[in-house]
Amino acid sequence: MIHARTVAQRAAAAGLSRIWSNTGTVVFTAAFYLMVTAVLAALWSAAAAVNDGHIVGYSASALIWYIAASEAATIALPQRLIEEIGQDVKGGAIEIEMLRPASVLLVRLSTQFGAMIARLSICAACGVVFSLIFAGRPGDFRALALAGPAVVLALVLSLVAQHLFAAISFWMRDATATWFLYQKLIFVLGGMLLPLEVLPQTMETIARWLPFSAMAYIPARLASGHFEPHLLLIQLGWIAAIGAAATITFNAGQRRLLEAVS
Amino acid sequence: MTGRKKNRSIVEAVKGVSFEVASGERLAFIGPNGAGKSTSIKMLTGILHPTSGAASVLGLTPWEDRKALVREIGTLFGQRSLLWEELTPRAAYRMLAAIFGLSDADEARRVSELGEVLGATDLYDQPVRTLSLGQRMRCELTACMLHEPRILFLDEPTIGLDLLAKQRFREMLVTLNEESGTTVFLTSHDVADIEHVASRAIVVNHGEIIYDDSVSAMRTSLLATKRIEIGLERPGDHDALVALAGSGVTVANSSASLVRLDVDTSVRTIRDVLNEVLAAASAADLSVVDPPLEQVIADIYEAPV
Repeated sequence: MIHARTVAQRAAAAGLSRIWSNTGTVVFTAAFYLMVTAVLAALWSAAAAVNDGHIVGYSASALIWYIAASEAATIALPQRLIEEIGQDVKGGAIEIEMLRPASVLLVRLSTQFGAMIARLSICAACGVVFSLIFAGRPGDFRALALAGPAVVLALVLSLVAQHLFAAISFWMRDATATWFLYQKLIFVLGGMLLPLEVLPQTMETIARWLPFSAMAYIPARLASGHFEPHLLLIQLGWIAAIGAAATITFNAGQRRLLEAVS
Repeated sequence: MTGRKKNRSIVEAVKGVSFEVASGERLAFIGPNGAGKSTSIKMLTGILHPTSGAASVLGLTPWEDRKALVREIGTLFGQRSLLWEELTPRAAYRMLAAIFGLSDADEARRVSELGEVLGATDLYDQPVRTLSLGQRMRCELTACMLHEPRILFLDEPTIGLDLLAKQRFREMLVTLNEESGTTVFLTSHDVADIEHVASRAIVVNHGEIIYDDSVSAMRTSLLATKRIEIGLERPGDHDALVALAGSGVTVANSSASLVRLDVDTSVRTIRDVLNEVLAAASAADLSVVDPPLEQVIADIYEAPV
């Protein structure tokens, strides 16, 4: 257990320095985040303005905080990870990692987690400054304080979910389609582009019962001034369920590699 | 040992392969593409399960005891890096040390020892992306030797390196083997790797062992061919020498100043052919050599199974 913790800590530290040691990545992440957030914030502010300043209970100011948080939870994620894992399965990198006395999944998740925290810190700093300038004070400081851990939990959930989706590469040699599907599900059913309340009733209900809402909507809902602590429990539940599924599937995939002839 | 394909038809990737490797030995495990080398290495390192057969590496069955075995072996697979582009090698060693359960003191000792042996200490704090391939391979070798493995499996380790870097890498492998007694299990298509690193060679083809002996014996015992190289004093002698081709003699290659004749010593004696050469031409230089190892290996590959 101590061994696994040390491995996870050092892998995370390695992932963190991967991002911070690359100035180009830091600048690009900040610029991309600000650009996307600014466009979506302008869009929702304009929509709110023609609707008496509110949309489904969110004020224009709350919508900016919402977008700032949902974008942070999305842009801090490793991009195209599913495809990368697919290439690593196909190219033999996973087999090489299996030649180490540590869980392949643990090392991968920890490294990605470190890199993700580095990107999140960039996005969060930009997001808070952007929102304070364009939306003013947050609606509820207690809710905003909960949005911090919520966005980290959202990222952890996304990370394990991406590994679960990517594990399909062990059986299907081209996982590109899986990445596109995953991305679109987060965009719409995850609440990244718009609060779930905007969706038609049936779709909203479905979205709330799926894990994608815990990956963007929940931290964004909290950041927009809704003090609803129980949302964090929903995230933890999904992390446990998806984490278990990812572990089982990834291990089954590795067993499949052991039995296949290259 | 056999393996299954996706459609469940049986493909015999490796069959009837049986050999032992002594501790501290430097073995070249070679063969043409598709011969079964990689399959064998994967089985010996535990990342591929055979459908039948047995193997014992350091007393462990690789595919049953993989987690225990990987603590005792080091692996370097061609272009697969153990490092990260954006990080320094030292940061990667920090993580690998944790994975292999090395204490901080052991990690520092090993990094320092290997840095000295491989002349790589000054490279450990530079981002990997700034290193040349040769420098990078020294850092990769440090990575796979960090946990003091008893066996080092190397699959095409010199691929892509320039001549000097290859030479240096080979010397480092021999030094590591001699200083730490690490067994070296090497596959390579580069004959110089085999010649300069390995003391013994196993040749596999079509999944079977077709040769197993020392590298020096590979040159001598297997060869019924000798090569005579004749440097010509007069370009006009060229045609006369080429005309000697016939029973047991073939022209390997020739130019106006040099003719190389291969002699099948089971058909003709070297003395006979030399007498004919001296009678036919005025030689400025004359030597009898074994054909290059590359040719020997090619002959082994082409031999009927």
